[in-house]
Amino acid sequence: MRCEQVKALLNDYLEGALSPAVVPSLEAHLSVCASCRGEWQFRRGIWRSLAQMPAPSAPADLHARIMTHVRAQTRTRAVSQRVLVWRFVGAAAAAAALFLLGFLSARPGGVMAGFELFGSSSRSGSTSSLPVESGIRLEWRDVGESERVPVLRAALNREASAMLAWSPEPNLPPRQAQRIWQGTLQPGKAVEIPLPLLHQKQTARAAATLWWTVDDQHRAFFIPTGYPPSARASLRLRAHLSEALALLAETYQTPIEWLPASHETNPLVVLDVRDATLPETLQQLLIGTRYTARAEKGHWRILPQ
Amino acid sequence: MNGFELSDEWLIERFKEGDDTAFDQLVRRYEQKVFQHAYRLTHNLDDAADVAAEAFLRMYTALKRFRGEAQLSTWLYRIVQNVYFDFHKREQRHQHMPLEISSDEDEEPMELPIPDESFDMDEYLLEQERQRVLREAIDKLPDYQRVVTILFHVEQLSYEEIAAATGLPLGTIKSRLNRARAALRELLEPYRELFEIESRPNQTEATDALRTGQSTAE
Repeated sequence: MRCEQVKALLNDYLEGALSPAVVPSLEAHLSVCASCRGEWQFRRGIWRSLAQMPAPSAPADLHARIMTHVRAQTRTRAVSQRVLVWRFVGAAAAAAALFLLGFLSARPGGVMAGFELFGSSSRSGSTSSLPVESGIRLEWRDVGESERVPVLRAALNREASAMLAWSPEPNLPPRQAQRIWQGTLQPGKAVEIPLPLLHQKQTARAAATLWWTVDDQHRAFFIPTGYPPSARASLRLRAHLSEALALLAETYQTPIEWLPASHETNPLVVLDVRDATLPETLQQLLIGTRYTARAEKGHWRILPQ
Repeated sequence: MNGFELSDEWLIERFKEGDDTAFDQLVRRYEQKVFQHAYRLTHNLDDAADVAAEAFLRMYTALKRFRGEAQLSTWLYRIVQNVYFDFHKREQRHQHMPLEISSDEDEEPMELPIPDESFDMDEYLLEQERQRVLREAIDKLPDYQRVVTILFHVEQLSYEEIAAATGLPLGTIKSRLNRARAALRELLEPYRELFEIESRPNQTEATDALRTGQSTAE
């Protein structure tokens, strides 16, 4: 066998794909020809190092990065580039005591996600001495076999007009949200509003946006609906505040309450954090806005400074 | 772990029915593999994570049309390559680092498998040097050659699996691979003595080592 022939067959030989009839003459040549042997050893060394190329260890937050990207993109595509300016006409008197209890328990086929929310307990101007449970609470009711429906239970210790609306996108102003219920709350009388939309898989989002309006004062609740939580996450976004808050609620699986300021727009915010906890992320997010974040029991409240 | 694993097909069906937790599970199942393939194409941890995230986004939108004509893993390889090519096109990064530059400040140290017993410091350092030179040479290959090289030599896929992952006919894969091998050989010629290791020809021993990544006793 000649050197040219041997060199042409070396790759097949290294691959083990050379015909057995040819192998002995090739090996015989290699054992006597230093030049071809060197060529074989050289290529063999390259192949072996290729096979041993080390696998890098993935960043610890890889999963959070992937899921954040997927969720953000699948949502912002729907929102598109709309720029919405919100105007909130000032609220009436300070709201009466509002307790919010949120509770998502094991959903059929879903994951366990439970939380409790307690709102402000200030009872400004309330002269009522009635021991009335006051606030809203989200809970899951058993209806029939293995079937559960989320129900929102609302009560107030004074008379007030109230409205509950569901927003298909966190960026829509409350008046564009879909009205679920509207009526008058009577002191001491609880109202129960079924929320099958939180239950339907088709509309299930990683975080639902609910608007609760009492006496023309709006507040938004971004309620996570069942992704496994991340303690730390890397997020990079440019979005309206409401959209960013909804994303944080689902990423960290923590409910977030937002009280938009009077005559305030829904500002554009930018965020670029790596491997950050929710308090760190909120701090970064709110820099330069007129909002501040406050930790409540089991949830975060974003309110005007 | 409780001894059994949900099949990809079952999880995909669940996802098609609207269960996003099934998607989450699929991501967990393949994110390491996807990241590593992306890293081998980009050689940058941050870019690799971006490619992986975009690949799973494409999987999310395309999964509803997935009919199971290929394995999910081979399909994902294909998505990763497409994402990588798109990113590459966008960035127009045709400038590659010269072989001499060795400062890897923004790169995390790579962990080479170190055998506990009979650890050979010289050989370890030599292998690190080989890997560095090799990585830079691979970066210089044209994209279409780099992909088949990585799939065959690094990821150790068979020709049939590469065909499924790239959509290329076998003949094209083999010719690209051979061109890539020749190009690598030329690029590494200045480092010849680093790779040329003395040994006697022995086909079975050599082939096994080259396809499993085990180093053989010399």
